Amino acid sequence: MVFQGIMKSIAAGDAEESLALTKRALAQGFSAEVVLEKGLIAGMDRVAEKFRDQRVMVPEVLMASRAMHAGLSLVEPCLKGITKKTTGKIVMGTVAGDLHDIGLSLVKMMVMTTGVQIINLGVDVTPKKFASVVHKEKPHILMMSALLTTTMTVMKDVIDELELLGIRKNLIVIVGGAPVDSGFAKRIGADYYFEDAFEVRTFIEENLSKIVKKSR
Amino acid sequence: MEFTKLFTQTEVERVHEASLEILENVGMLVRNEKALDIFAKNGCQVDMETMMVKFPRQVVEKARQTFVPSYTFTAQDPKFDVTMPGDRPIVVTGSSAPNIIDPKTGEERRATSSDIANIAYLINELPGFDVFSISTLADDAPEGQFSMSRFYPALKNCKKPVRSNTPNMDDLKTVLELGALIAGSEEAYRQRPFINHHYCPVVSPLTFDVESTEAVIYLIEQGLPVYGTIVPNAGMTSPLSLMGTLTLGNAEFLGLATLIQMIRPGAPMIYAVLSTVADMRTGAYAPGAIETGMMQMAHTEMARFYNVPSGGYIGLTNAHSNDAQSGYETGMNTTGALLAGADLFNMGGLLGSLMAFDFGKAVIDNEIALMLKRMKKGYEYSEENLCLDLIAKIGPGGSYMDTDHTMKNMRSIAVLPKVATREMRRRWEDQGKPDAHSRAMKEANKILSKPNKSRFTEELDTKVRGHFPGLVAGDVDWSL
Repeated sequence: MVFQGIMKSIAAGDAEESLALTKRALAQGFSAEVVLEKGLIAGMDRVAEKFRDQRVMVPEVLMASRAMHAGLSLVEPCLKGITKKTTGKIVMGTVAGDLHDIGLSLVKMMVMTTGVQIINLGVDVTPKKFASVVHKEKPHILMMSALLTTTMTVMKDVIDELELLGIRKNLIVIVGGAPVDSGFAKRIGADYYFEDAFEVRTFIEENLSKIVKKSR
Repeated sequence: MEFTKLFTQTEVERVHEASLEILENVGMLVRNEKALDIFAKNGCQVDMETMMVKFPRQVVEKARQTFVPSYTFTAQDPKFDVTMPGDRPIVVTGSSAPNIIDPKTGEERRATSSDIANIAYLINELPGFDVFSISTLADDAPEGQFSMSRFYPALKNCKKPVRSNTPNMDDLKTVLELGALIAGSEEAYRQRPFINHHYCPVVSPLTFDVESTEAVIYLIEQGLPVYGTIVPNAGMTSPLSLMGTLTLGNAEFLGLATLIQMIRPGAPMIYAVLSTVADMRTGAYAPGAIETGMMQMAHTEMARFYNVPSGGYIGLTNAHSNDAQSGYETGMNTTGALLAGADLFNMGGLLGSLMAFDFGKAVIDNEIALMLKRMKKGYEYSEENLCLDLIAKIGPGGSYMDTDHTMKNMRSIAVLPKVATREMRRRWEDQGKPDAHSRAMKEANKILSKPNKSRFTEELDTKVRGHFPGLVAGDVDWSL
């Protein structure tokens, strides 16, 4: 069956195969939603599960994510308007003074597999920049990360800036990075802290539609 | 003492050549404008738009000609000054952890300025440590005093060289102001700059940071002590091979060294690294892994080729408690580095890959430091030390217990540990079977329960507190 094939191609990290099989599935008349759910997301879920059991390593997950995206690029334009609206939007970046974005990239790769729209501001993002993008793009979620213990405090400056502009209220703020913990997240007024990219993905998977619905 | 060599001379030269190729052909992304200007003025190909800098080999080779072989850490008390390579190995605490293992509860929590005061005093008293790199952050820092809440308790309670970083130029200048105030004047401070600055201006792969680079440029211009650590992470920010990571890290060191020598030829440097191999099962950071020690050994060999002091964050652990893993990770990696000839060991006191300070860990690391120093002191080869006359005098079947020679050497020839037990089992059982950590905590308690004689005088403290209103107390506050 074509979905088995898509799942296999994702597990193997074979982007070309994933693309070809997604195309075939659509040609066979399966709806975009079904291809997404039963093929692409199911394939990625299986890889995530294997990762949790330490049966695959991080690079394999990244390759799988890449393969999933190849298929997603075909499916996305076919998704009906209503589905698109519920996918949600995330703005992310590392805070000012911090160029360390390996963790951020991992989170991005993982979260992208949920089909959510991501605006990645990259590294060294000032509080003002975060705030202006939030103001303009009206995302559902803001994700910030810091690796340096000396820059993690900038996260609070970002939240302060959002408060100042009155755009903090309907926004979920998620923080991450090696020196960050849930206590820190709470103290600076963030909503969530997650330990790794997989926790973030699980959270997004389980809660995104609720968050999107609530904000409307 | 002959040092361990991992490579032939040809191989060392090839790594150097390959690093030059990287700098010349791939180049570095330089996000600091001052650095871009300096590179442009000194013969690099600089694209101001993309911030890409390419280093012609003769530019790097020119910088290499002004490398100097020594580096000094100056202390508030001159008796604690240390210079590499002569005083090698120089043992430094690990720094800037956000957390501490609470000495009373054993639970991890955010560290405060009082914790820094306690740690500073402990490091001042532990003979294995040469430099106090401020171990933690201060969660109780008043608004605008992030760095002062670290440097003030550190300098107040420790007369050894103090080392740390600052997040921005304002903080750096305030800290220097504190230095001048303690020294009596700016001039006096410049003669003996006892705050030793450290940054990681290069973010792998091949990228210069904004703020850290700014600080390094400023300090080099000012003639103040500063050095950088190169931190590639194989599989993540550098190739997943030891050779690839060595070469990339070496290129990054040369890039930073070139910048420094362009600003002030002959400025002292340390070839410092924390090259690691990521645990690809989860992507976890693994500074305690044996590969960290292997990387340090190779970088040290490259540093010897360049004739600059070497070292880095070596002897860290991923363990979350002061347990066997903590001991073997610190022990094995530092031993490897020492045998390869490393000068500087940023190793003391931290658990959980730089996340939390532990008093017991610091005391055990002090003991490891003393062992490393013993190893470095080595055999002291001499005719006299062959003891031929003594061996003839005692002859077969005698004892050396009661000779003058033994009396003379009994306190100096072996490390006499305070934590490692050498008791008979029964005696140890009678004491309640204390493990290494609890014996170490007992040592920490013994030191920290006594008043700190090295603290600032009241006069100096009044002056400092008057100059910087709203400072944290910064005093030792210890009870178990």
